[in-house]
Order: sequence, then C-alpha cells, then structure tokens
Amino acid sequence: MRSAALPVPADQPPTDDVREGLARNAIAFPDGIPGFEACRRFVLLTSDPLAPLQRLESIEGPPAAFLGIDPRLLMTEYRCSLSDNDRRALVADPDTTLLWFAIISEAEGVLYANLRAPIVINPQRMIGRQVLPDDGQYPIRHPLTTKA
Amino acid sequence: MLVFTRRRQEAIRIGDRIEVRVLRVGRDGVRIGIKAPPDVPVHREEIYEEIREANRAAVAPQGDLSALAERLRQP
Repeated sequence: MRSAALPVPADQPPTDDVREGLARNAIAFPDGIPGFEACRRFVLLTSDPLAPLQRLESIEGPPAAFLGIDPRLLMTEYRCSLSDNDRRALVADPDTTLLWFAIISEAEGVLYANLRAPIVINPQRMIGRQVLPDDGQYPIRHPLTTKA
Repeated sequence: MLVFTRRRQEAIRIGDRIEVRVLRVGRDGVRIGIKAPPDVPVHREEIYEEIREANRAAVAPQGDLSALAERLRQP
C-alpha cells in the first residue's frame, strides 16, 4: 500500500525535482475542491516540526495549498458519515481506512478548522474528495486559537 | 433558463442519467428527489457556496505555525 504522507517539509513549497517525485504520489481529486475546481491532483505533505498539521498542495492547475489536521485529533468523538455517493467516488468499502483532513483557515488572526466539510482520502486508491454533508452537525469554523 | 410546470410525482430528465422528481409540494417548500450517477455532485446551492467561500479563505496561513503544532501535540 502506498502512503499518502511524504517526508517533505510542509513548511515550504517543494522544489521542482521534489515536485516531479511527488507527481508519482499524486492524489486524484476527480471533482476538484469547491472554489478550486480546476485543481485535480494534490499531494499531502508532512514534516516533524509541523506535525500533526499537514499541507495539501495542488500539483496541477492553479496553485493552491491548504493547511489541515485530522479532525479526530481535535474532537475524539468526531464522526462524519460518508454518503453512498462519497464511498463510490472514493472507491472505498466500509472497511477501507481513510485519511481525514480538516482544512484550516485564518480570519482576523484566529485559526479555524473546517469540521463540517472535511477532505477524505482513500490512500489505497489515492483518490480524494471534499465531502459536503447537507445535515452536517459540525461547524465550518471551529476555533483553534484565540485572538492575540 | 428552461422553465417547466410539474405536478407532484412528475419528473424532468436531464440527459439519460439524471432525473429530477417533484415528490411533495407544500406551502413553504417543494420536496425534490434527484437521481444522478455518483460522478455528478449534487448539493444544496447555499451549502456548496458556503464551503467554497471557506475554502477560498483557507490558503495556507503564513507565519509561525510551530506554536500551534506544539499545542496540538499535547494530549
């Protein structure tokens, strides 16, 4: 099984030859990501100093990079159910171990995690998508920091 | 925009793969059922827009994140 997490510094953009290597570890996003529909291939980057934060970076189409975290690290009881459509799109059966990534955003100096619409990745198939539960019980802006 | 009048249980087909059916008509809203293949994303418009806006505001934050990372590493 290939791993989606790569030993590349997440705190700086990859160089060109690193990027070439990353292309072999690309995660396909067949639907893109809302707001970034043209971005269809991403890599997930990790680094020790930033763990447990990770960086999801577009390697095709317009530049886009998201900082994120596994939502289960923020909320141990976090449960976001996948629709049948989501499972089919991810080519995941109920036993497949999936990677979860809550996108972190910043507004007026405060960092938030989007627990409502996480990015879900099937590392066995290297397919990802952002799931948008219509009846989501979690907030789009879950505060991670307080205003300085 | 194409405009149709449909009654309860009547449907509209878009191509050969998408069906939009009026299930119930109430005073405040209309209940609609949609059959579409899995590769066609279907969302309520306002939710899609909300997520889209959140994503656009989520370009990887600059600056020192190590303090946040350290705090998140605490159990």
